Amino acid sequence: MSKYPEYRHEKSRAWFDRALNVIPSGVYGHLGPSEGLFLPLEKWPLISARAEGTYFWDMDGNRYLDFMCAYGPNVLGYGDPDVDAAAMEQLKVGNCTTAPSYKMVECAELLVDTVNCADWAFFMKNGTDATTFSILTARAATGRKKTIFLRGYYHGNQPWAMKADYPGILPEEVANNIVVPWFDLQALETAWDQAKGDVAALIAQPYDHGNFFDNRCATPEYWAAVRKFCTDHGIVLVIDDVRAGFRLDLKGSDHYYGFEADIICFCKALANGYNMSAACGKEFLRAAASSLSYTGSYWMSAEPFAACIAAINKMKALDTPALFRKLGIQLTDGFKEAGKRHGFDLVVSGEPALFYLRIANDDSLMLHQEWVAECVSRGLFITSHHNHFLNAAVTQEDIALAVDIADDAFSVVAERHPELGLIK
Amino acid sequence: MIDTKAMAYVNMYGVLGTLENLCAIDEEAKKICAQLKKPVSLCFSVKDGPCCTFHFSREGCRMTEGDAGCTCKMNFSAPEKFNALIDAAKPGMPVKNPVQVLTFLLGPFSKLTDRMTRLLRASEEDLTDRAFFEESTILTLYTIAGAISALANQDPISKISASYTVDGDISLGIKDIAAVTIRVKDNHFTTIKEKAADPRAIMEFASIDLAAGLFAGKVSTINEMCKGTIYLRGMISMLDNINRILDRVSVYLA
Repeated sequence: MSKYPEYRHEKSRAWFDRALNVIPSGVYGHLGPSEGLFLPLEKWPLISARAEGTYFWDMDGNRYLDFMCAYGPNVLGYGDPDVDAAAMEQLKVGNCTTAPSYKMVECAELLVDTVNCADWAFFMKNGTDATTFSILTARAATGRKKTIFLRGYYHGNQPWAMKADYPGILPEEVANNIVVPWFDLQALETAWDQAKGDVAALIAQPYDHGNFFDNRCATPEYWAAVRKFCTDHGIVLVIDDVRAGFRLDLKGSDHYYGFEADIICFCKALANGYNMSAACGKEFLRAAASSLSYTGSYWMSAEPFAACIAAINKMKALDTPALFRKLGIQLTDGFKEAGKRHGFDLVVSGEPALFYLRIANDDSLMLHQEWVAECVSRGLFITSHHNHFLNAAVTQEDIALAVDIADDAFSVVAERHPELGLIK
Repeated sequence: MIDTKAMAYVNMYGVLGTLENLCAIDEEAKKICAQLKKPVSLCFSVKDGPCCTFHFSREGCRMTEGDAGCTCKMNFSAPEKFNALIDAAKPGMPVKNPVQVLTFLLGPFSKLTDRMTRLLRASEEDLTDRAFFEESTILTLYTIAGAISALANQDPISKISASYTVDGDISLGIKDIAAVTIRVKDNHFTTIKEKAADPRAIMEFASIDLAAGLFAGKVSTINEMCKGTIYLRGMISMLDNINRILDRVSVYLA
């Protein structure tokens, strides 16, 4: 008998149907049923009504303890009072203006003071904008064509960052992409040789946090070798810290792993949900960055800068990376123990602040998808294919509740599968 | 962006491969087979391309790789020449038992392929007949399933998707109607025209009407996923890659 009754989603579904009428796929992308893997669909909240702290509520009034954090932006808690107050205050005095606000300068100064490798900061709106800017800068600085990627990469939705088998992508658009495996230093040298030195950039996330597979952390030794490879060959080393940025280390995930990127890209956790991204770079790339034709209508709006300043200062005050590591270990230890009680082998991988989960009793993820669905339909929002996120509003009571719901969901799945002999 | 050699594999494994299913489920095709005086095993051998034998008997049609057991054989000097057989009924060079090749090709084989073409490239009028519509959709599933593996193994763009696909069986089907298995091993794809016993990933369309809409490109796969009318489970990364290859299938079979 389940301790937590399953949610119903009639109103959310009705809103989603309205969305389907006027928006392709209803909710497209990672927040929607397709890329978000709502399996089965009826177990998931589709449209939200409000959010606060580490919770959101759907249109039916169901409450969700959310460990996806809008896939990263919620780093201090939804509606953080300090960040929101700074944003609202800025809105009163000016936001999207012809002459940009002084808040932009303050925000850039704070990033340069905070981020270890930063001599300057450049602002835009989304992670894709930041990674695209970085590659353009690297090409402009080096006069070279090619970019090295690490296998399983995701650096946004621009054609250069995709693969030739993606709909709408032309082979010519990815003809200068070289893909090498993670943690294979010889492959980097081989790629360099095969490209005859025509390599502008190496772009990578700070560790292998791809989807569907156990995440693999990097080591300082690995990154030191990659750093040397790039320096020796004049390749611009771009770290895509859009996902992990400010969750591992406020000075940047390159600093966390003991090296310095040439350019580092931030977005998700930068302003606690206010819309902005940034690329920070080293002095030798300043001229190339300045040379780009690269801007957007809202890229210098002041409200997100004010939010960003408040968010970074609060993250520093709370030492959020240490907090997230502690919470991540507590939470996943609890999940693993709960799984073990019901006969499940729950594998936890990646950095604790961005933990990835997989039930290893089968190799198809079907049991895992069932467990995740039962968690979600009882108010614990996690995913079956992606790493998770923590925010600073998570309390010890939230951790206990999450583990209890997870335990309950494990019991439901175990009872449903007597053929597996999980229940002793 | 169509590769001629990959097209030859699609024509062999996807299009002609559907003859197996046509002869199994279509009453007119069964009648054509029933009139065969003796079994005929016709091999199509394409230089720098596929080589398969189609074994016809009164019981139906069975396709095997290679030329083992063929009673007659037709060579094609290049993939383009073989593709011309499918597109324009231009035969290749008979190299074994030419009399039987020509007699069979111009007789039962043409009747079967004409029937298959009518079903696979159905007119709006034919599709108003529900039984015809259902048969057409099921055969299209088999054609697509054969084309998926052909392209995964041969099409330069689909090979990228294949390179990211982990090992295991993918079940692809129409709920309570038909299912096929796409078996992946070391990034090589094989189509098996039966339901997977232990799939690592499942994609199942809720109805034959939905399947027909998807095959005809009238509805969006992603949109239907979002509506919940496509049942997905398991290693979804495998299905992501299948979906990308399906986009290529539609280019090749257009």
